[in-house]
Amino acid sequence: MLGSLHTYLALAQKLSFTLGSLIYFVFAVIVVKQTTMMTKNVNDKFNPVLIVLAYLHFALTILLVFLTLTLL
Amino acid sequence: MPRVSDVNNVAPENSPPPISFPAAFDINAKVYEIFGHTKSPFSSSLIFPKVFNFIERNDDETILIALRPHWVTNAPWLLTGIILFICPPFFRYIPLIDILSLNYLFILSFFWYLISAAFCFEKFLSWYFDVYIITNRRVIDIDFYNLLTKKFSETELSKIQDVTSEVSGIGQSVFNYGNVLIQTASEIDEITFSKIPRPDKVVKILQGMVDGGGK
Repeated sequence: MLGSLHTYLALAQKLSFTLGSLIYFVFAVIVVKQTTMMTKNVNDKFNPVLIVLAYLHFALTILLVFLTLTLL
Repeated sequence: MPRVSDVNNVAPENSPPPISFPAAFDINAKVYEIFGHTKSPFSSSLIFPKVFNFIERNDDETILIALRPHWVTNAPWLLTGIILFICPPFFRYIPLIDILSLNYLFILSFFWYLISAAFCFEKFLSWYFDVYIITNRRVIDIDFYNLLTKKFSETELSKIQDVTSEVSGIGQSVFNYGNVLIQTASEIDEITFSKIPRPDKVVKILQGMVDGGGK
């Protein structure tokens, strides 16, 4: 009885982490879109760095989703 | 004519002619004299910027000054960002979190750092792209809200009726930043430059341009 409860809790934990990382993935896509839109509208010296940072954040989010799915 | 447009809207083709200033009011010399020179891309005030541009600019339009909120307005989110970044090592002392396995703790810390970085990045974007522009034709306020919404407000120099500056509080007085309120004779009756550095000097330049152009 206690064993199955522990299994359910572990499953819920894993599901919540996976769902969280997937929602965050959507947010990372929006950040890339937002940065692209902003840099298109207002051009300045630092814009290329901002685009690189947005894509770096996106790449790290993919890594997060991958680690969540494989490690947990 | 002031207007608020969406991202996809562009400036109308029949834009007003540039205001010709009288010889007594040499705008270039005046701006340099009042504001000085700035070269850093992170500066809150860019004087005759060479690289800076915006999508609605007309070909024959010259950007005199591009302004952002004063750098000190970034202090609250910078402080929050630092606190967020130093939190993960202390997770183990939080009850319930210590029952998580090492893998879960690792993912949680990774997730936390990503959220912290995104928070700082978003705040920086909000500051960096919150720009107020004075050109030889008009005054422009570009704002971005809610991640994907852009607000573009503009008014022609000839429609400006009154310009006032507002510095309130200890912080604004110490760091010399505040708001510039631009009253216009059109649909949007006021454009506000919020928390910009040296508002008194911006008012001086705008008044010089309006008075000079009106004569």
